Amino acid sequence: MDDAPPPLLEVREVSKRFPGVLALSEVSLTLGEGEVLAVIGENGAGKSTLMKILAGVQLPDSGAIHIDGKPVVLDSVKTALQSGVALIHQELNLAENLPVGANIYLGREPTHFGIIDRRQINADAQRVLQQIGLDIDATDALGDLSIGQRQLVEIAKAMSVNARVLIMDEPTSSLSAGEAEKLFEVVKDLRSKGVSIIYISHRLGEVRELADRVAVLRDGKNAGDLERKEIRHDNMVRLMVGRDISQFYARTSHPIGDVVLEVDSLRTPTWPAHPLSFSLRAGEIVGVAGLVGAGRTEMLRTIFGIDQPVSGHVKMDGKEIELDSPRSAIAAGIALVPEDRKLHGLVIDMTVRNNVSLAGLFKNRLRGGFLNRSVEKEDTQQMIRDLRIKTPNESQIARFLSGGNQQKVVLGKWLAMKPRILLLDEPTRGIDVGAKQEIYQLMESLAEQGMAVLFVSSEMEEVIGMSDRAIVMHEGKITGELQRSELSEESIMQRATGNLNADESTVTT
Amino acid sequence: MNAKSIGIFGLLVALFLFMAFMTADPWYAVSDSTFLLPNNIENLLRRISMYGLLGIGVAFVIITGGIDLSVGSVVCLAGCLLGIFLQVDYNAADSFDVYRVNAAEKTVILRGDASQRFSRGDPIRLFQVRDPAVLTVQSIELVQLADEEGKPTELGTLLGVEGPLQRDDQSGTVARAFRVSDYSPGSNLGENTAASGDALKIGEIPFQLTARDRLILVHPTSKGLLEAQVASATEEGDQTTAITKQPLNDIFTTDWLAIPMKRQQRMPIPLAILSVLAITGCLGAIHGLLVTRARLQPFVVTLCGLLIYRGVSRWLVNDNPVGFGIEYQNTLSPLGSGKLPLIQWAGENGPQSFGIPYPFFVFIVVAVIAAIFLNLTIWGRYLLALGSNEEAARYSGIRTERITVFAYVIGTVAAGVGGMLFALDSGSISPSSFGNFFELYAIAAAVLGGCSLRGGEGSIFGVIAGTAVMMLLNNLILLLKIADRLEFTIIGLVILLGVFMDETVRRIAARRRAMKS
Repeated sequence: MDDAPPPLLEVREVSKRFPGVLALSEVSLTLGEGEVLAVIGENGAGKSTLMKILAGVQLPDSGAIHIDGKPVVLDSVKTALQSGVALIHQELNLAENLPVGANIYLGREPTHFGIIDRRQINADAQRVLQQIGLDIDATDALGDLSIGQRQLVEIAKAMSVNARVLIMDEPTSSLSAGEAEKLFEVVKDLRSKGVSIIYISHRLGEVRELADRVAVLRDGKNAGDLERKEIRHDNMVRLMVGRDISQFYARTSHPIGDVVLEVDSLRTPTWPAHPLSFSLRAGEIVGVAGLVGAGRTEMLRTIFGIDQPVSGHVKMDGKEIELDSPRSAIAAGIALVPEDRKLHGLVIDMTVRNNVSLAGLFKNRLRGGFLNRSVEKEDTQQMIRDLRIKTPNESQIARFLSGGNQQKVVLGKWLAMKPRILLLDEPTRGIDVGAKQEIYQLMESLAEQGMAVLFVSSEMEEVIGMSDRAIVMHEGKITGELQRSELSEESIMQRATGNLNADESTVTT
Repeated sequence: MNAKSIGIFGLLVALFLFMAFMTADPWYAVSDSTFLLPNNIENLLRRISMYGLLGIGVAFVIITGGIDLSVGSVVCLAGCLLGIFLQVDYNAADSFDVYRVNAAEKTVILRGDASQRFSRGDPIRLFQVRDPAVLTVQSIELVQLADEEGKPTELGTLLGVEGPLQRDDQSGTVARAFRVSDYSPGSNLGENTAASGDALKIGEIPFQLTARDRLILVHPTSKGLLEAQVASATEEGDQTTAITKQPLNDIFTTDWLAIPMKRQQRMPIPLAILSVLAITGCLGAIHGLLVTRARLQPFVVTLCGLLIYRGVSRWLVNDNPVGFGIEYQNTLSPLGSGKLPLIQWAGENGPQSFGIPYPFFVFIVVAVIAAIFLNLTIWGRYLLALGSNEEAARYSGIRTERITVFAYVIGTVAAGVGGMLFALDSGSISPSSFGNFFELYAIAAAVLGGCSLRGGEGSIFGVIAGTAVMMLLNNLILLLKIADRLEFTIIGLVILLGVFMDETVRRIAARRRAMKS
């Protein structure tokens, strides 16, 4: 590297200290022109801080950033943009009420005697949209676009300022598989045009597909780099967690019991045309695969009584259960860990204890409806112990826990109820590798104790790795049921995309 | 007690001391401060109690993440309803509406069939006519009444009368009068020794006269009229002996006639109170259902409530003042305006006393129940949880709609209780202004006391302290002779300051917490 031309972007031993925590400690990165560099690491490894420094949101305490070999001071988002660095946020920063073009030129509208020149905006925006292959009109309302399209609008916005370095923070976290595919194409296309990309993701499959190089951060330090040919799942995990994880998906074989849950011709309000039928056995882990929007979440919501079914029955131990409210489902012994833990899983401003005890308050109440504080305390302490929830104490506000620990609190709430059926919706979304593995182990040990586990996941590896059996859904229909031995990316993907003719013999609906 | 409550409590104590010293002259002569005068403190306690009730009610709604703007109007409606339910009428035994009085023919035509009620020789008296004479019935005859076009309408009774009838009339009423057969002033007849009044023996009263009924005493010729309250009455054959509460005027003799008036209270006190509570509770339930089922915004629902209940109140009583008069001065009224005397001492200007106003007891009971509910029961926890994240609460099996409706019911019932106390305290209320802006006091007190309008946060103790601060400020403006047009300005500034400090403290605490973890 010594005599070669300087890299496009170079981060030299950057440190950043927040009160009480060293977020970054002498972290270095290099990024060449037209290179896709994936930055991975567990939550709290310092990825976000590093990206904020590059985007000019925060200044480093020490260290230097060089662009084209020259030191730069990125003291604001504006200077970062002028230097060619643009950050595409995890939470999109777009105005839904404005058209696409106005969004792309927000804050730097070309004017004509002080009046916004819409024509020029639309013409310019259209050109940028074409450049990234997004087939929409600059005059379309942003609110009408899908999340994936919005993401691409963000990229268009960055391209419109001639960004040379795009930082993408978990860009696929809320995209469907199809949309993600589209995004990957755009990323590859941009790379071929010489744009450099820093790609942050928890999804190692994506990283493997896209990255030219991987930089791993751990505890605010460089943990190692992987060249293209070294980018493998096990290598990435090893660097991220700092130890070998030989058995990432902890499955042991244990006997599977009788059928506990039977779903019979259940029609959800979202997909009333497709009756859903399947069963679940004690001690069984069943994955539900499918693309985003395939009706998997809606199926769980209906079984749990949040959405009312159009028709159909759910039986537990052969007895039909009411589907009128979560209360009935809970009483029957069903628990649901929802997809969005901040919205549906946690009362995030309440303490860990109040969250863990919430579902069981009624069951454990004292006479006259008084709270049973001692049971609350015991349950919480037990869950903190059993699930290894990292919290200073049980009175910590849930908001201040990491994503993985928040998810464990939600799990703890349900495990304290001793359910017989555990429904999990994207149980490992947005949590780091270490916590992911703990959740897998937990699923395994719960199944071993005889609980029936039904989990929805968009991560193919997770479904393949964890399921005794998998149900595949496509547009509200169950398009396949696969035994563990039949599970592969191909067999799932075919059914998830509705391509049933590929291998009809294994479709057993 | 959390940090927030300590903050507002600190402000309260500081304000209290400030007032005590500022209203003393010189400042260190605290014992002479006008602020600490027993009367002022009693008044403050009374106001804190009544506004505090409203604050507690609103706090429940605010904890759900909603708002209740209808408090002031519900206060007014509750006051008006209580007045209506407890209205007292005095009715004569045989009273009929006058159809026509003909002075020349000496006839009085009554509406309806009164033939069985009067007999020859009965004295009667006209009321609400131009010539309220005492007459004697001479003849009774049923007649057919007709309207202006001559169409028959209803039966009437034509009384031929004798007496000093001077003027014609077409309205008014007639009541039968009774002769007084015996009169002993200053009598202590009967067992009721408490009565210091006179005993009257009256014949053939068609109903049983009881305590608190009234007697209207009329002079046969002079149109003179006395009114007396009955303290007790005993019956002996067809003779009733009534003892008046107060001695009668000296001009009374046995020549006078008595018209016994039956006291009719529309409802017994407990039923009236329960009715008001039930009605206000229903209003809250409607608010709650509109918010949860119809998914209307709480602001809009309760704003409409504010307008509707104010209008209904004014319409119900025709915009007339509603009063309780002296009817309940020994029964219900003290609940609003009375006090439990604690200490008495001889002051420079006569005897002084200090007591706890009765509303304070109501307030403490409600506050303790509310605090227990919120902090120690599962429903209180549900309320806090759903206020903070309704979806997560629903996903945890909580019937969030019910709890929300319940909170709105608490909001209006508390306003109903407060409204009754306010009405009893002031004795007479005017439906167009009673309770105006009370919702703002209540909301301000709740917010000052640490309730977040985002929901999920609030303590009863905070609301009490918040109310107390508001009332102290109000008192400060009065005692320090600050122009009272500045009252809202000062209260507004203090709330702004309080909320600002709260937010700042919260942010600092959050940062410190984030640093730790």
